[in-house]
Amino acid sequence: MTPARLLMLALALAPAGAAAQAPASPPPAGPVRPAAFPPFQEAVLPNGIRMLLVENHAQPVVSLTLSLPAGSRYDPAGKEGLADMVAGLLTKGAGKRSADEMAAAIEGVGGSLSADADAEFLTIRANTLTPDAALGFALMGDAAIRPALADSELGLLRTQTLSGLQLELSQPASLAARYFARAVYGAHPYGRSSSPESVRAITRDDLLRFQRARLRPAGALLVVAGDLTLSAARQLAAQAFSGWTGTPAAAAPAAAPPVPSRTSILLVHRPGSVQSNIVIGNTTFLPTDPRGYALTVANRVLGGAASSRLFMILREQKSWTYGAYSDISEPRSIGTFEARTEVRTEVTDSALREILVQLRRIRSEPVPASELDAAKNSLVGSFPLSIQTATQVAAAVTSARLLDRPADYLATYRTRLSAVTAPALRAAARAAIRPDAGVIVVVGDGTRLYDKLRAIAPVRIIDAEGKPVAPADLVVAAAALPLDVGKLVARRDSFAVMVQGRPFGAQLSTLELTDSGFRYTEETHIPMAGVQQVTTLDLDKAAGVRHVVQAGTAQGKETRIDIVYAGGRARGSAATPGKDGTIQTVTVDTTVAAGSVDDNGILALLPALPWKAGARWTIPVFMSGQGTAGQMTLAVSGADSVTVPAGTFAVYRAELTGGPQPLTFFVTTAAPHRLVKVTVPGTPIEIQLVK
Amino acid sequence: MRRALALLSLAAAFVVHRAGAQEPARIAFESYTLPNGLRVILAESHTAQVVAVDVWYNVGSRNEVAGRTGFAHLFEHMMFQGSAHVKKGEHMGLLDRAGSAGYNGSTTEDRTNYYEPLPSNRLNLGLWLEADRMRSLAITDSSFHNQREAVKEERRLRVDNQPYTKSIFEDAYTLMDPARCFPYSHSIIGSMADLDAARTPDVQAFFDLYYAPSNATLIVSGDFQSAEVRRLIAQYFGDIPGSRAAPAAVVCDQPFNTGALRRRVQDRNANLPAVMQIYRVPAYDSPDYPAIELLGAILGQGESSRLNRTLVREARLAAAAPVLVNPFGPRSGPGEFLVLAIANQGASVDSLDAAITVQLARVAADGVDEADLAKARNIYRAGVISGRQTAISVAEALQVANRFLGTPDAVNTDFARHMAVTAADIKRVAATYIRPDNSLTLLITAEATP
Repeated sequence: MTPARLLMLALALAPAGAAAQAPASPPPAGPVRPAAFPPFQEAVLPNGIRMLLVENHAQPVVSLTLSLPAGSRYDPAGKEGLADMVAGLLTKGAGKRSADEMAAAIEGVGGSLSADADAEFLTIRANTLTPDAALGFALMGDAAIRPALADSELGLLRTQTLSGLQLELSQPASLAARYFARAVYGAHPYGRSSSPESVRAITRDDLLRFQRARLRPAGALLVVAGDLTLSAARQLAAQAFSGWTGTPAAAAPAAAPPVPSRTSILLVHRPGSVQSNIVIGNTTFLPTDPRGYALTVANRVLGGAASSRLFMILREQKSWTYGAYSDISEPRSIGTFEARTEVRTEVTDSALREILVQLRRIRSEPVPASELDAAKNSLVGSFPLSIQTATQVAAAVTSARLLDRPADYLATYRTRLSAVTAPALRAAARAAIRPDAGVIVVVGDGTRLYDKLRAIAPVRIIDAEGKPVAPADLVVAAAALPLDVGKLVARRDSFAVMVQGRPFGAQLSTLELTDSGFRYTEETHIPMAGVQQVTTLDLDKAAGVRHVVQAGTAQGKETRIDIVYAGGRARGSAATPGKDGTIQTVTVDTTVAAGSVDDNGILALLPALPWKAGARWTIPVFMSGQGTAGQMTLAVSGADSVTVPAGTFAVYRAELTGGPQPLTFFVTTAAPHRLVKVTVPGTPIEIQLVK
Repeated sequence: MRRALALLSLAAAFVVHRAGAQEPARIAFESYTLPNGLRVILAESHTAQVVAVDVWYNVGSRNEVAGRTGFAHLFEHMMFQGSAHVKKGEHMGLLDRAGSAGYNGSTTEDRTNYYEPLPSNRLNLGLWLEADRMRSLAITDSSFHNQREAVKEERRLRVDNQPYTKSIFEDAYTLMDPARCFPYSHSIIGSMADLDAARTPDVQAFFDLYYAPSNATLIVSGDFQSAEVRRLIAQYFGDIPGSRAAPAAVVCDQPFNTGALRRRVQDRNANLPAVMQIYRVPAYDSPDYPAIELLGAILGQGESSRLNRTLVREARLAAAAPVLVNPFGPRSGPGEFLVLAIANQGASVDSLDAAITVQLARVAADGVDEADLAKARNIYRAGVISGRQTAISVAEALQVANRFLGTPDAVNTDFARHMAVTAADIKRVAATYIRPDNSLTLLITAEATP
C-alpha cells in the first residue's frame, strides 16, 4: 500500500468531527486522467454503406442511425417540405408491415423508430434493447428501401403537417428561427421553408421520385452504437440492407447567401405579444474551416453558456430576460452565428442595443486571459460529459463524418481548442461575427416596437405568414369604437372624489359643442395628493381626437401633456409621474391606429356607446402621457342601482381593463348614458356624481 | 397458411424475446447520514470519467402559503446568486470553467433539486459549491429584485407567451380544491401578483426553514472513490448547523370523485383549439400508481398508443394526443393524469372531447389485452434501462426512490412493482380514477384575433 493510499484510508476512517473545515475558496482541480476519445470500428458494406460501430456493453441497449444525403435542400421549388414528408412516411408502412404494424412491432418491445430531415440529411433512427436489435435493423432496412408511401398516409401526414405549421406560426421562437434562416440565407437552399401551399402541392409521385433518387446506399452512413460486436452488427446490417443498390446524384450548386453591407431589422409583427424574441446574426464559413476552433471559444466567451457575457449582462445585471445566448451552427454548406434572447416588450430596443455593443466588443477588444482560459477550460473540461453514452459518442462521430471533418477531428478536438490564443479568437470573431453587416429579426408587437427599432436600423415589417406590413397599417388590431356622436350632448357634470367614503377632492367634466366638433375639459382638484390638473381635448365631428393638452401638478410636481394627432401620427411631448412617482418626460412622434382614443378622453365618449347588457368593446388607446399605444377592453358586467349625491340611478356596471389600472364605471341605463360613479378596484377610491 | 406461419413466427419472436428479456442492472449504492441530519447516498460507477452531484431539498410549491405562490421556485433562483465564499454571479462561472455542463436547479410541487454533472476530477468543486450555499446563502435586496424579474420573464416566456402552456402550467391546478388541498391547487410558477408581493426577508425565513441539512439529501453518482468522497463530504458539509425549525406539515385532504369540472378557456397564443382532460390520481407510493403509469403509456405514449391510433390516425380529429402523468414529476400527494389533444384544423373541441372520453371509458369497461400490457411493460423497461446510462439520471432515479418510496433501495425494486401489474389492475385503476366525476376538462379555444 502506497503512503498516499494509507493517508486516504486514515482520512476515511477519521470521525466526521475531526475532519478539516470546509475551505474558504474553491478547491483546486484534481489530476486529469488521460482520456482518449472512445474507439470505434469501421466497415464498408458491399453496397457502399459506410458503417461505424461504437461498441459499449455497459447497458443492454443498441442505437442505430442511418444518414442519407436527402435533406430539404433537394426539395424541388414549390414543393418545400418534401424531404420532411418523405421522412415522415418512411415509418408509416414499409416492407410487409402497415403503419400500425410497424408501430406495434417496435413499440411492443419498448423500442423506437423515427425519421426526420434537416437541410442536408435525412436520418432514420432505431433504438432497442439488445435482444431486439435484429428487429431494429429489419425495420430500418424496410423503411429505407421498401417504404409504402401510401396515399392514405400521405393524406394524414399532410393534415398533421398543416396543423404543425399552424402551431409553428403561433410560437414566437419558431417564427424567429424561420425568418432568421430566410433572412440570413436568402436564396440559398437553407433559407427556404415550407408553407401551406407547398405542403398541399406535394403528390405521391413526388414522394416516390424523391425516395428513388435520393435514398441510395452509396453515400449513406450507418452508425451503430451500444451492446453489439462488429461481426454481429455487420451480419445484421448485411441482412437488413441486402439488395439495396445505387448512388444519389450530387447536389446542384447552391445560390450564394446574401452579403449585406449594413444591418437591417426584420420585424415580425405578432400583435399583443408580451415579449419580443430577438435574433441577430450572419453567415460564417465552412465546418472544415480551421478558424472554427477559435470561433467556438469566442462564442463561449460571448454567449455560449450561462456564465458568458450576454447572460451575465442581460439577465443577471439588467433583469431584462430569462436567458440570452449565442450559438454557432455548422451545417455542411455554410455556417451561421446568432445571438438571441427573449425580453419583455418594453426593453426590446435596450436589449438589442446592448447585444450589438457586446458583439462589437468581442471583435474589437482583446479577450482578457482569465476569460479566455475560463472559456477554454469549460469547453475542454465538459467534453467527457458529452460522450457518456454510446449514443452520444455515435452522434459525435456521425456529425464529424457528415461534415467532412478531418479524420483526427474528435481525437485532437481538445488539444486544438486549448491552443486558441486571444489574437486568433479576435481574428475569428472579426470574420464570423458581424453586427454591422448582418441580419436582425425581432418577433413582437410591432405597434409598440416599430418606432424604437427604427432608431437602431432600417426596419422591414412582415406578419407571421411572411406578408409585408406597411408601417401605417401597424395599427392596434381593434376596430374603432361604434360611436353614435349624435348622443354626445353638451353637459357639465361635477364629481366628488371619495376615499373610504370621505371627500378628498373634486372633478368637473364639461363637454361643449364647437364649430369643428367637440371640446372636452376635465378639471381635477385633489389637495391631499397634490393634484391640480386641467385636461382639454379637441375632438373632430366624428369625436376623433385632434389635440390633447394637460397642465397642472401631481404629487406637487408639475405635469404636462401636449400631443397633436394628425395624419395617423401622434406628435408632441409629455411629462407625467411614472410608477415610482418621479416625473418621466417623453417626446412622442409615432404612428397611431386609426380610431385610437386618447386615454384622457375615454370618459367623454361613454355616452356615445351602444350600451346594452353583455356589451364588450375593444378600444385602441393611445396613452399620451406615456407615449405608448395599447388596447383596452370595456365590458358590461351587469346592471345595478347606485346611489350617489346626485341621486339614485339604474346603471350598467362596466369594467375597463388593459390599462395601467383597472377601473369600474357605472353608467345610466337610460340615455343620455351618463357616468355616475367610478371605482378603482382594490383601492378605497371612488368618484361620485354630485350634480 | 401464410397467416398461420406469420402467427408462428410471431410466437417464436415472442418466445425469443421472453428468453432474452432484460432486467435493468442493479444500482449499487451506500448510504449514511451526517450528524447534522444530511442524508448522503453514493453510487459509484466507472463507465465514464463523469460524476454527478445532486441535492434534493424536501420543499416545493406544495409548501407555499396563499399570497406567496411561486416562492419555492423564486427561491431556487436565489441559490445561484452566491454564498459566503462565492460572489454574486460566480457560481455559474466556476461550474462552467470546471467543465460542468447541464448544471441547473428545478422546482416541482414536491421537491427542489440542484445538480451538476462534472468531469470526475472536479467533483470537489461541485460538493464545495453545494455545501457553501447550504451553509451560507447570500440574500441581498439587489439579488432578490434581479431574480424576481428573471422569474417574471420566465413566466412570460413559458406561460404567458406560448400556446397551451398556461393551461398546463396553471389552469390544470384547478383540478384540486384550494379549500381542501391548497398545496396542489396552485401553480409552481406562481402569480405575478404573488411574485411582486414577495419580500427579501421572506427569502431568509424560507432558507432557515427548508434548507437545513436535515431537510436535504445529497447524492453523488459516477466516477469517484468512496473513501475520498466521504472525506470531502464530512469536511465540507459536516459543520453546517443541523435542523433549524421543523417545517409545518403539508395538509391535503383532496376528495376524489366529487363531480365533473368543465371550463372553456381562451388561449390568445393558440392557432388551433385543444382539449385537456385531467384526472386525479393517488400519490406516487400508492399501490395503484404503477398501473396508472402503464395505463398512461397504453393510452398516450407512442404511435401505437390507443389515443394516437383512434384520434390521430383513424378519426383524424387531433394533431397529437399524448398522456402525461404528473408532468413536473412525482408527487407525495394527489397527482394528475393529463390528456392533451390538439385539434386538427377544422375539428371541433366538443367532438374531440367526446372522442377522448369514449376511448378512456373503453379501458374501464373492457380492459386491455396482453399485447397492450406487454408493450407498456417493455416501454417502462426500456425507459429504466436507458436511464442507467448517465451519472445524473442514476442520481435522479435514486432521489425519486428515496423521496417518494421512502428508501433508495426502491430504485432496484420499483421495476418489479411495475412488472407485476396485470391487465386486471389496469382495468381497475381506469375504472377507479379515469372517470368523468373525477376530472377537470378544459376546452381551449384559439381566440380569434380581433
